[in-house]
Amino acid sequence: MPDPVVVLIEDEPQIRRFLRATLTAQGYRLFEAATGADGLVEVATRQPDVVILDLGLPDLDGLEVIRRLRGWTRVPIIVLSARGQEVDKVRALDLGADDYVSKPFGAGELLARIRVALRHAAGAAREDDAVFETGDLRVHLLRRQVFVGGREVHLTPIEFKLLTTLVRHAGKVVTHRQLLQEVWGPAHTDQAHYVRVYMGHLRHKLEVDPARPRYLLTEPGVGYRLAAD
Amino acid sequence: MAVSLASQDTRGATLGPVSGASARSRWARLAGNGYVGAAAAVAAATALAWLVAPVLQPPNLVMIYLLAVVLVALRGGRGPAVAAAVLSVAAFDFFFVPPRFTLAVAHTQSLVTFAVMLLVALVIGGLVARVRHQVERARRRERWTAALSAMSRELGAPAPAAALATIAARHVREVFDAEVAVLLTGPDGRLDPSPAVSDLAGGVQADLAEHAVARGEPVGRGTPRTPTASALYLPLAGPTGPRGVLVVRPRRREVLATPEAVRQLETFAAQVALALEHARLAAEAQEARVRAETERLRSALLTSVSHDLRTPLATITGAATTLLDSGARLDAATCRELLESIRDEAERLNRLVQNLLQMTRLEAGALELRRDWHPLEEVVGAALARLARSLGTRRVTVRIPPDLPLVAIDDVLIEQVLVNLLDNAVKHTPPESPIRILATAAAGRVTVEVADHGPGLPPGEEERVFEKFYRAGPARRPGAGLGLAICRGIVEAHGGRIWAQNLPEGGVAFLFTVPAAPTPTPPLAVDA
Repeated sequence: MPDPVVVLIEDEPQIRRFLRATLTAQGYRLFEAATGADGLVEVATRQPDVVILDLGLPDLDGLEVIRRLRGWTRVPIIVLSARGQEVDKVRALDLGADDYVSKPFGAGELLARIRVALRHAAGAAREDDAVFETGDLRVHLLRRQVFVGGREVHLTPIEFKLLTTLVRHAGKVVTHRQLLQEVWGPAHTDQAHYVRVYMGHLRHKLEVDPARPRYLLTEPGVGYRLAAD
Repeated sequence: MAVSLASQDTRGATLGPVSGASARSRWARLAGNGYVGAAAAVAAATALAWLVAPVLQPPNLVMIYLLAVVLVALRGGRGPAVAAAVLSVAAFDFFFVPPRFTLAVAHTQSLVTFAVMLLVALVIGGLVARVRHQVERARRRERWTAALSAMSRELGAPAPAAALATIAARHVREVFDAEVAVLLTGPDGRLDPSPAVSDLAGGVQADLAEHAVARGEPVGRGTPRTPTASALYLPLAGPTGPRGVLVVRPRRREVLATPEAVRQLETFAAQVALALEHARLAAEAQEARVRAETERLRSALLTSVSHDLRTPLATITGAATTLLDSGARLDAATCRELLESIRDEAERLNRLVQNLLQMTRLEAGALELRRDWHPLEEVVGAALARLARSLGTRRVTVRIPPDLPLVAIDDVLIEQVLVNLLDNAVKHTPPESPIRILATAAAGRVTVEVADHGPGLPPGEEERVFEKFYRAGPARRPGAGLGLAICRGIVEAHGGRIWAQNLPEGGVAFLFTVPAAPTPTPPLAVDA
């Protein structure tokens, strides 16, 4: 498999410098753009495997860049944004971005997000028939069985649907809106506390310490992430 | 000041001569009443004289007419009195001087009687009218004085300039029966073109108002330069500069017809200007106090922040330059240690910047609450996850009842509160000392408690720890003293309360309340 191609759209030269060092050292082929307009051109010409997009660009709104990219490509988009701008993150994710990293971030965190994005892009077709496993948690998607440390756990249909939705996006953040849409249907997308209550039930069934979850992680103000190895 | 409408002092306040087209008919009616009264009085005198004529000599009948002239002068003022005098002479001649029922005169002697009668009537009428006018003026002055002191009393209470303008406008409107507007000058001394208060039908002429301020004297209606303007513009000149303009447009033309009335209005204006000046000085003093307090806080912030910013920056710079300059000679463990300290100090810097930003938002009132129903457990979990590295292997007990109602909170902000409280506990207790998180529900509220086993707070400091830049204990600990102040800001924005109490078994508990959902958990019909 050839080295994965990454297009980085970021106006801060220092951040580009540090990401260039990190990503090339990890074997990625990196193409950079300092503006949204250049970024759109880079994505069109390089056909990357992942796009890393800063939301605060000088020329174009980052959300606009996502909208234009999603007009013609499903390439995974990872958004860079500051803590405290959860609203922007949710908007970016609902517009079709795949994941986000809060500035300041460690290289390990970004690399993990890129790996998850690449895995999903490559294996999207196979995910439905697989058995999902992380830590002590094992989910048989077809047999509708869930095991924690070898012990079977009984879930209600909604809980199971919620869990499998997270499994389908394992490692990626999923917004409340996306979960409501996929589990309850489009009529309930503004009632995020449904999700929170059921997520609480799931944690009590699957986590050793529900207040310090290992698998069902909360991203405050944004949504949830199912930890994946 | 000169006002063209001001006429002789002796003119009756309600009976001035007719001038100006708009008010002509009204004036004619008013004046007419006086003159009709004069005619009626003369007619009545004639009737009375007719009745007593058989028993009195004609010269005595003159007295009846003089009496009529006096009465007319008393009621109607000078003009009607003169008219009554002339009419009296004519009626006397017509009805009582032979040849009767003609204005012809048989004896030249009668002409003398007429002359004396007219003269006496005029003099008496004039005198009476003047006395009457003076009484009226005194009464009016008394009314003005009372009105002025009433206004001064009201203006004496401390109030913002706009409120003072409203009070002043109300009084001037009542006393002078006028449409009134007040324009105020801004802090820069420039006149605000939109009036602070106005019921002027035709609006305010900004150029005249500017003009009044610039010249420091009244302009507009009745003044020599712009006599035809519809309203009078009086500058409100305070001792230290212009404070605004009082615009007065009397509903009745005669109200500002005398220089005295205009002087009176100027006295009102001076009073208003003085009150505005006081308000300005009070506001400036208040502003100065706020500035001084802000200054004090700012310097405390700078001292605190510059130390807290420089320490991690010094560490980062030092470690990075060491690695750059002599990285090759260092062993792997040392390199790793330096790199870890760079990472940790950068994280510390990040927390500090977050706190500074959050504090700024709180103080600017720019904090936006995005409330929704949340299980507290989830928010606690997120806070613990964020602090995973600094908590290390420390034991954190979380006791949240499974039936705890949802809480109506902004999860990002309450997570910040929990992070700050936990961070605080980590900073002030030994590394292995346990931390406890408890939640209880009562009376529509959930109370969250974060307790440590550290040294506790110095007694009496339980309230002060929430002040900005407060640091507990003699030792300087890292942090700008903002964490707890931010907690208080966020909790209070949620309508909750936060407090600290030392625990009998040692350590300190921080407690805060947040609103809870009315029912334990909203049920969902969709699940089986």
